[in-house]
Amino acid sequence: MNGTTRVALLLAAVILVMNGPQLRAQAKASLPAVHLNAEEMGPRTIEEMTSKSVPRDYSYAWQTMAQAMAQNRLDLLNGYFTGFAKDKLTKRIQDQKKTGVHVRYTDRGHKLTGLFYSPAGDAMQLRDEAQLDIQVLDGEKVIHSEQVTLHYMVLMTPGADRWLVRDLQTTPDVKR
Amino acid sequence: MRSHKPAFLGLLTLALTTVAFAAELRPPDKVFAGADFAIRSVGSGQATFYLIGPTQVSKRQVDLGSDIAVHGAEVEKAGRYTAIVCVSDQCNSASFHVRPDQASRVSLLVHPSRVRVASPNAISAVAFVFDRYRNMLFTPQTIEFTVTPPDGKEISTTRPTDNGVSWIRLTSATKEGPAKISAKVGSAEEVRVVRQVASEACNLRISANWVDRKLWVQTDPVRDCSGNALPDGTIVSFTKTDASGKTTVDAPIKRGIAKVQMPVQGGVRISVASGVVTGNEIQFAGGR
Repeated sequence: MNGTTRVALLLAAVILVMNGPQLRAQAKASLPAVHLNAEEMGPRTIEEMTSKSVPRDYSYAWQTMAQAMAQNRLDLLNGYFTGFAKDKLTKRIQDQKKTGVHVRYTDRGHKLTGLFYSPAGDAMQLRDEAQLDIQVLDGEKVIHSEQVTLHYMVLMTPGADRWLVRDLQTTPDVKR
Repeated sequence: MRSHKPAFLGLLTLALTTVAFAAELRPPDKVFAGADFAIRSVGSGQATFYLIGPTQVSKRQVDLGSDIAVHGAEVEKAGRYTAIVCVSDQCNSASFHVRPDQASRVSLLVHPSRVRVASPNAISAVAFVFDRYRNMLFTPQTIEFTVTPPDGKEISTTRPTDNGVSWIRLTSATKEGPAKISAKVGSAEEVRVVRQVASEACNLRISANWVDRKLWVQTDPVRDCSGNALPDGTIVSFTKTDASGKTTVDAPIKRGIAKVQMPVQGGVRISVASGVVTGNEIQFAGGR
């Protein structure tokens, strides 16, 4: 190893060490913030582990959905979606591919309110107040842009090692 | 003399731009899933129309100033839709909500699939209401839950949905056998079957007999406190204490009883248990 190579390697190592925390922070920053309020959820009382895993998995679901929509990638839906939710998003991405139109989400966070947790612990219904920046692009041209607060009714069910989004439906107004 | 042509062209461009800016969409107040409807458009000339919804994205050319027909197939999923119309680089949009159609499906979750008889609140049934396009209905609906126990006497109760969900808890019957649990909304019905099995053994009793110099110990027919026979394969433990020490032998119930042959030395004490239930104890002063 000559002196130039050694210096180059040392420089690369220094850059990595200096930027490591920043890279991690960026990855963390891209995960949308999700806050869960499960105080009035019933009839089953939410377990401590579940109260942590539901917002975490919902956050990953939104992150992967935004990526799937932006990049027209169906494979990204496999991780955190199942049932009707997955069917809907699959169909939409197929249409995006056909038309050349796609939607870009910038996620500004979610307020989840637990509404129902089944007695057997096999289904959870939540209301989500989502803050989103939405852009619709035809090819690379932005044809629509808006900053919105949307209300979603969410149905989540437990999978092998995570909670999966089974249904995701926007509603104009939600009671409670 | 100066030509007025450039000024005229400029005005024309401005007018066209104004028309383009004026392109406007007016969706109806109420749109239902799967139903055809029209979006009023204001403006003139050709434009590109986009419709983006929960499951679909469509794009087509339309004539401004007339109604834009939207087929029911484009709005089968309830939720928020964005309609966009673009003339050259100028786009205008309108959002609207598609509401679910009428209730026509029930999704029923029943747990557990197998339960012991006479267990209070051991069964839960949760019903979700959907329309024919699998949109969940959040407006209150009435669900009729019906339980048909093995003896065939139906019991029904109604519960309203709350955000599309309704649920009940049930106590299992005292008689073993399959119980049908159904949830019905309108003409849509979903049925699940829960197998009710005998509970723990009750009044577990053993007796012993010498046959060909061998001691055979067997239970009376093993039943729960409601008189249901415990299923074959249920393990019964026989414990023998004699001069050689303490030995436990597990035997499955076959045709209602469990039976073992036990070698004994001298005085012996034999007890029986099944699960958490213990039965009687028998003693012999000396072996034969």
